[in-house]
Amino acid sequence: MKIKLSIVILTAAAMLIGIYPKPALASPYEGYTYSYWGEAVNSPIAYLPSKTVTGQEIGVGAWAAPSDMFAASDGNLYVLDSGNARIVVLNREWKAVREIKGFQNNGKEDGFNNPEGIFVTEAGHIYVADTDNRRVVELDGSGAFVREIGAPQSEVISSSFEYYPRKVIVDKAGRIYVVARGVFEGIIEFDGDGRFTGFMGTNRVQFDPVDLFWKTVSTKEQREKLIRFVPIEFNNADVDADGFIYTTTADKQSDTPVKRLNPSGIDVLRVNGNIGPIGDLSRERSAFIDIDVSGNGVYRTLDSTRGRIFTYNEDGNLLYVIGQMGNQRGTFKNPVAIESFDNRIFVLDRDLGRITEFAATEFGKLVNEANRLYSIGKHNDAAKLWEEVLRLDANYEMAYIGIGKSLLRQGEYKQAMTYLKLGNDREYYSKALTKYRREYMRDNFGLFMTGAIALLLAVMAARRFARTRKEGMGQDAVA
Amino acid sequence: MRLLKEMKYSLHVAFHPFDGFWDLKYENKGKLRIALIILLAVTVTMILNRQYAGYVVNYNHPLELNSIDELKYIVLPFLLWCIANWSLTTLMDGEGKFKEIVIATGYAMLPLILVYLPNILLSNFITLRESSFYYLLESAAGLWFIWLLFIGTMTVHQYTVTKTIATMLLTVVVMGVIIFLGLLFFSLIQQIVSFAYTIYQELSLRA
Repeated sequence: MKIKLSIVILTAAAMLIGIYPKPALASPYEGYTYSYWGEAVNSPIAYLPSKTVTGQEIGVGAWAAPSDMFAASDGNLYVLDSGNARIVVLNREWKAVREIKGFQNNGKEDGFNNPEGIFVTEAGHIYVADTDNRRVVELDGSGAFVREIGAPQSEVISSSFEYYPRKVIVDKAGRIYVVARGVFEGIIEFDGDGRFTGFMGTNRVQFDPVDLFWKTVSTKEQREKLIRFVPIEFNNADVDADGFIYTTTADKQSDTPVKRLNPSGIDVLRVNGNIGPIGDLSRERSAFIDIDVSGNGVYRTLDSTRGRIFTYNEDGNLLYVIGQMGNQRGTFKNPVAIESFDNRIFVLDRDLGRITEFAATEFGKLVNEANRLYSIGKHNDAAKLWEEVLRLDANYEMAYIGIGKSLLRQGEYKQAMTYLKLGNDREYYSKALTKYRREYMRDNFGLFMTGAIALLLAVMAARRFARTRKEGMGQDAVA
Repeated sequence: MRLLKEMKYSLHVAFHPFDGFWDLKYENKGKLRIALIILLAVTVTMILNRQYAGYVVNYNHPLELNSIDELKYIVLPFLLWCIANWSLTTLMDGEGKFKEIVIATGYAMLPLILVYLPNILLSNFITLRESSFYYLLESAAGLWFIWLLFIGTMTVHQYTVTKTIATMLLTVVVMGVIIFLGLLFFSLIQQIVSFAYTIYQELSLRA
C-alpha cells in the first residue's frame, strides 16, 4: 500500500514538473545559424531585445513613417522622422537632446520634404537626403544650414533624368555618395565641393538565357512590352573606417546582394566558402534593405522578408542571426534601418514608428570579442574565447576553425587537423596535413627506410628464387 | 582454386582486352559468377570511396551517406545497360546473347576496383595541392572502363567500330526510354490504385 502511494505521489510530482517547466528566458525569436552544408542549425541567441522606444515615450510626439537613423560616433542617435520632416537627436539615455525641424537657407525659412536618408560625419555635420526636394542638405552640428547639393549636372545624364536622392553617405575625404531612386548606373558620387564626378559600382546586368530566347522569338511590339534588361539599383549603403563603401540591393535573384566597393568602384567583398552573404538559404530569399558596418570588418544586414538581422565577419562567415517579423516586443512590422553602437544594435521600424534596442548576450559578447581578436590575427587569444563559445554552442563551426588555426600556429598539427575538419575548412586542414605529414615522415624516417629496404630485398630474393626454379624445371624438361 | 583462376583471367581481360574478350566469348572463359562478383565488388568499392576517401577530396555530407543508394547508382544502371543493350542489339544484328552482354559489362568494370581502392588509400595522404592526382587517377579509371566496355561490346556483337559507337550511344538513349516507361507505368498504376480505392470508399460510405 505504502509503495503504491509513493508511486502515485512520485508520478504526480513528475507530471507537475513536466507541466510547469522552469521558465526559460523569453525570447521572441530563435537563434540559428547555417552549417557548412547549408543546413539551419540551432544556435544560442546572440542578442536579445533590451528596450523599445517611440516618439511619444521620449516626449517629442509620435514619429510618422521614420525612414532612417544614424548612430554617431559620440553615441547620439539621429532619427530621421520623414513624415514630420524633422530630425530628432537622442542621447545614450534615450533623452531627446535636439530637434531640427527647419533651417535658414539664404535668409529664408526652409525645411525637408519627405527625406529618406541621413548621415552624420565625425565632425558632427549632418547630411540629409531630402528626397522630394531633390537635393542633399548639409547642416552643421547645431542644425544650421551649410549648403545644399542639387541634382548632378553632366552631359552623360539625360535631360529626362529625375533626381530623387534616397540615401547619402560621406567618406573621410569628404566625398559624398548618393543612392538615388531609379538610378541603375550605380552610386552617384560628388566631390568635397559638391560637384558631380561620376557613377560608381554599377551592378552588372543579370543575364538569363530563357529571357534572351523569348526576346529573340518575339515580335517588335511584344519586345517593347517586355521588361528591359537593366542593372539592379542599389537601395542602401554604408561606409567603413577605411573608406570602403558597403552597398545592398533588394533583388532576390542576386548572388551578391552585398558589395564592398573600393574607391574605384570594384567589389572587393571577401567571401570565404561557397555561400556568400545572402541571408537565409531558403527558396524565398532574403531582401536586404539596410547595412551597418561595425568595427573589424563586421557588417550587419537587415532583411525585409523575415525581419532578420544577419551579422557577417570580414570573411563573409555568418556569425549569428537575430530578429523576426511579428507583434511581440523585439520583432518588427516594417524594419527599415539598422545601426549599431558598442554591443548594442538598433533597428528602426517604419510602420510602428519605433526603435528596438538589442543588447548582446553572453554568447553574443563572446563571439564578438573572439571574432575581433581573430580578425586582427591574435589567434591564440581568440582560441581561448572560441573554447568558451564552443561550450555554449558545439555547432559553432567558426570556433573550430579559430582553434584549429591557433593550434596550427603552435605546431600541434594533428590536433589542428581534428579541429579544422570539424570546422570544415579544407584549405587549412590541407595546410595542417602537409605539416603533419612532413613531421611524421621525419620522425619515422628510420622505420620507413628499413621497411622499404627489407621489402626491396624480399622482392629481389623472390625473383631469384622463381628464376632458379624455372631454370631447374627447364633443365628437367630437357633432361 | 578454379575461382582464383577465373579471377586471374578477369585481370588478363583488363590488360589485354582484344584477346581477352575474344576468348571470353568463343573459348567460354567468361563466367557469369565472376561478372556478378565484380559488380558486387564495385558497389562495395564505391561505398568505401564515399566513406573513407580522404577529407581533402571527400565532399560527401556524412549524414547523407546511404549504402543502399549505391544500388541505385551502380546496380540499377548496370542492369539497365545490359537490358537496353540486349534489346537494341537483337534488332541490330548483334551476335551477343544476354548472358554474354552481362559478362562483358561486368568484366569491363574491373578497372574501377583496381584504381579506386589504391586511390582511396592515397587520398588520405594527399593535400589540396596534390588532389589533382587523385582526380586524374579517377578519370583514368573511368576512361579505362569505357575503353573496355567499347572493346567488349564490339567483340561480343562482332560489330565495326562506328557501329559499336552508335550502338553504345543508342543504348544510353534506350536506358532513358526504359526509365521513362518505368516511371509512366508506376504513375499509372498509382492512379489505378487510387481510383479503385476511391470507388471502394464511395461504395462503403453509401452502404
